[in-house]
Amino acid sequence: MHLYRLLLLAQLRSALQYRVSFVLEVFSTSLITVLEFAAFALVFSKFGGLGGWSLAEVMFLYGMVEFAFGLTDMVFDGFDSPTFSAHIRKGTLDQFMLRPANLMIQIFGSSLSFRRIGRLILGIGIFGYAVLQNPQVWQLEKILYLPLVVLGMEFYFGALFLIGATITIFTVDSTDAMNLFTYGGKDMMSYPMNVYADWLRTIFTFLFPAALLNYYPALFFLGKPDPFGFPALMPFLAPVAGCVMFFLALQFWKFGLRHYQSAGT
Amino acid sequence: MRLFWEIISRSFQRHLTYRTATITGLITNLFFGLLRASVLLALLGHSSNVGGWNAQDMVTYVALTQAIMMVVSIFGWSDLMNTVYRGEIAAELLRPTHLYTFWFAQDLGRSLTALVTRGISIMLVCWLVFNIKLPHSLEHWLLVLTSLALAMTLSFAFRFTVNLAAFWSPDARGMARFAFIILGFASGFLMPLRFFPDWLQQILALTPFPHMMNSTIEIYIGSSDTRTLELLGLQFFWAIGLTVLAQLILSRAMRRLVILGG
Repeated sequence: MHLYRLLLLAQLRSALQYRVSFVLEVFSTSLITVLEFAAFALVFSKFGGLGGWSLAEVMFLYGMVEFAFGLTDMVFDGFDSPTFSAHIRKGTLDQFMLRPANLMIQIFGSSLSFRRIGRLILGIGIFGYAVLQNPQVWQLEKILYLPLVVLGMEFYFGALFLIGATITIFTVDSTDAMNLFTYGGKDMMSYPMNVYADWLRTIFTFLFPAALLNYYPALFFLGKPDPFGFPALMPFLAPVAGCVMFFLALQFWKFGLRHYQSAGT
Repeated sequence: MRLFWEIISRSFQRHLTYRTATITGLITNLFFGLLRASVLLALLGHSSNVGGWNAQDMVTYVALTQAIMMVVSIFGWSDLMNTVYRGEIAAELLRPTHLYTFWFAQDLGRSLTALVTRGISIMLVCWLVFNIKLPHSLEHWLLVLTSLALAMTLSFAFRFTVNLAAFWSPDARGMARFAFIILGFASGFLMPLRFFPDWLQQILALTPFPHMMNSTIEIYIGSSDTRTLELLGLQFFWAIGLTVLAQLILSRAMRRLVILGG
């Protein structure tokens, strides 16, 4: 933990070297988050509803996912496939392995995109505003359960980043395909799952348990009925689903490392 | 002129070589399109028509934006500023072609690759699977293609101008990112501009951004047939205007550029 803190401080110092650049980047990443949601919110009034959800309710789901993903995206930047594939190609992964310190901590500490803090802050902003707009959320048991759901999502997204990095061990070059599950998955999870076609929802409920992490907990928090009639237990599987995903991803990561062959640089 | 076509065709061939990237790009593109179409259709819900568009129009909108987003580089472009930061600009300026013409030809080649590979395949898949609208006559096709060519020209002039910031500031990358985010929002890529509140539509109508994508979409979907010529005229006006502006700023940039030999 001490090592991780040291590495992060070094990252922060280097990010702050180019101050104007850093501020502009923070500003622009927050602007993406704002405009993406604003575009949706601005057209919403012309339509009046999204699959039975009000704007405030969609905002709750959207903000929760944006916040959780923003945090993972920042912390797991070292495992993001463009960053990680650079470690393989430049041979820095070999260096990490030779050092007498924990490999994962070194990768976590190798890159933390502080510029994405803008997205995180705005995610929290959207989410906070939505919580105020939805009084049905203000109940003790819901407030207590909320951090567990967010943690579950951290593990879920973290697992996807870890899987992406492991695939990179085999392909060496960074793969855009993983963006489908990380960024695409996040985009998909930002809206209620009942807007998607059955086959898509089935894949993201049972194969990738995305619906267990965003949609079902949101139904519970917002006090909405489940249109698919699954057991009442569904909203409470989020932390378990996140942990299971992360555990599986970790096994895949270890398997990948055993088969790692240096790129020779 | 011959050189101009040569650069276009070389750039076209160069971009065509990345086959795997094209295929994964295509899949990602279709996936995001699917998500965007699902959200728009859910917004439409049981209404048959909102703001003049029905379900088929919504899906056509998504297919078209996904098909042309790389053609008009909706996510931006920073090749020129990279040559400035890497110092390659010195060698670029030694070329016998004008800097703007050279990069414009390069970019047209890239655009054409995007049109032939991604653009056509996405439209084809969407037409087969989702039954999207197609232009109703040859004349309509020509209007759409003219509008797309104008959108490309305009978008290039805008992107080039943004890149010129690198001649003045070491932080042009941040500024460019900022400009390209605005582009995505104001060009109608995130959501069709016709669904925005009227006040916002009026503000955006004063900027060139809608003409980099939204106008082409409106002409394609044809829900405002009477406005087609007006939209083409505006696109033409902005394309000329921004191209001239880019030349003016470029010539100022050239005057302040100092290259140290080495």
